[in-house]
Amino acid sequence: MTTQMAPESMYRSTEGLGVWPHRGKVAAVGIGHSPTARRWDGRAETSVGAQSIMACRKAIEDAGVDPSQVDGIVLVPVTTTGAHWDADTPVPMDVVNAFNPSDDPLDGIGQLSAEWLLKNMPELTNVKFTMYAPGCMSAAITVAAQAVGDGLASTCLVLKGWHNLEGRYNHGGISAANEVPGSFALSPGRTLWGAPGCYGTALQFAQYCTKYGKHHDMMAPFMENSRRNGLLFPEGYWAQHRPEQLPPEDYLNSRWIAKPANLFDNDIPIMASAAYLFTTAEKAQDMAQKPVYILGHASSRGLARSIVPTLEEVEAETDSTGRKIYESAGISPDDLSFENMYDGFAQFHQFHIEGLRYRGMQRGDALDFYQTDISIEGPNPVLPSGGNIGSGRSRFWMHTDCIQQIQGRAGARAVTGVKPEIAVSGGPMPMGGNFTVWSATPN
Amino acid sequence: MAILISFDIDGTLEVGDPPGPLTMEMVRIVRDKGFLIGSCSDRPPSSQRSMWEEFDISVDFTVAKHLLADVKSGFEADAYYHIGDREDLDRQNALRNGFDFLWPDEAAAKPWFDAEA
Repeated sequence: MTTQMAPESMYRSTEGLGVWPHRGKVAAVGIGHSPTARRWDGRAETSVGAQSIMACRKAIEDAGVDPSQVDGIVLVPVTTTGAHWDADTPVPMDVVNAFNPSDDPLDGIGQLSAEWLLKNMPELTNVKFTMYAPGCMSAAITVAAQAVGDGLASTCLVLKGWHNLEGRYNHGGISAANEVPGSFALSPGRTLWGAPGCYGTALQFAQYCTKYGKHHDMMAPFMENSRRNGLLFPEGYWAQHRPEQLPPEDYLNSRWIAKPANLFDNDIPIMASAAYLFTTAEKAQDMAQKPVYILGHASSRGLARSIVPTLEEVEAETDSTGRKIYESAGISPDDLSFENMYDGFAQFHQFHIEGLRYRGMQRGDALDFYQTDISIEGPNPVLPSGGNIGSGRSRFWMHTDCIQQIQGRAGARAVTGVKPEIAVSGGPMPMGGNFTVWSATPN
Repeated sequence: MAILISFDIDGTLEVGDPPGPLTMEMVRIVRDKGFLIGSCSDRPPSSQRSMWEEFDISVDFTVAKHLLADVKSGFEADAYYHIGDREDLDRQNALRNGFDFLWPDEAAAKPWFDAEA
């Protein structure tokens, strides 16, 4: 079976498409997470392949389905956080041979193919549909929802795995090459010669502060709240390995990476895999967990006129994204119980939620909003997952949290100031990402 | 002779991520010998303090990485050392702020860390 990258036609990236035709007809049921680690320790059982198998099996078990019922898989084949396998480093054949390998020995170590996954999950005897999504779980969710809605699969695993290797990320692979194509070297975070990865966001944030009369210190309550929420996320990195709060004094005294972005405005690269089990609304009724219905999805494909998007471009794109999200789901901002938009980098979360007009927010309001009660106990929860700030760079905590909150399985992290009925999650970037609206009911 | 040692954590101490070659027992030895000691790390100061408390080691300072200069100005010593594993954030930072610098493996070989020496 050849696995293709999802075609652009599976995304809803323009305004005016109306309500998603499969609104309420696709549901998330099962959730599976691997343990987290800061870096790979070289063992087969902790490789991204092994962790991804574990996540898939947990999601299947959680949904209470027999593996033979799974007929589709959507996954992201790229697993790097910026850590690339050095061409001069021998591939560990003991790890390769601990599994049923594909043609590429790095499969399951530094990447993940559908072929490798199926070879190593023999219990998946009925998979007829496989598809790749680019980048992160947000894209995979969108593709899987569309695939189930379109009838390409009826019980579909959605998978994202991350590997992180020894050393500093973005210092290997193409980032260490003597020659790189086009403007690659100039783009933030790509090479030693370019600016730090957070530079673009820092620049937009600086423009934002100037335009609206805000300052970096106003981020502190959001950062503290996000880490607090993350420490209530038992699947997350900080909860599992370093249960440290992030009080304002620690956040504000951290060193600058690209002023006004400091160390904690960046997330920490980790290893982790997560999988969800999606199915039709009808089939979901017979599964083990409460279905969380997908009301709609929307995608952003903003084009900046230069290497770094301006504040004006970011604001225009996230405004459009907000409109697309509501149009697709057939809801308005007032319908949102809470939001879980992306936060890695922390300083663009406000672009996302202002674009959503979350709780009536207008442009320039978010940092003032952060000074109010944004906790999970309050009436206006902001990022109850804690996001990447709270649990490490995976870009999937926000989705798991939406599903768990609506299923009533968020544990100590459960929102109590609002009834969790409709939520939105997605990302990554303000200029490009994929977003999903989740609901307790199909209508 | 008063000697001050600033320890980076990750990649330097055994409890770091990744672990480094310097054990907490080695730190305890120089503490008991009367060295001025503390940590200078990208870990938040509150996290650094928690780490030292966990190992019941009394330290003189816990600072963020970019505040190493404050250690120099805050303590009177005859020699100042910073031990770390990064070229930019440790070695260059240390030298720029008037510290002598040691890589963790170099430091581990110092007689300071020998209880009998």
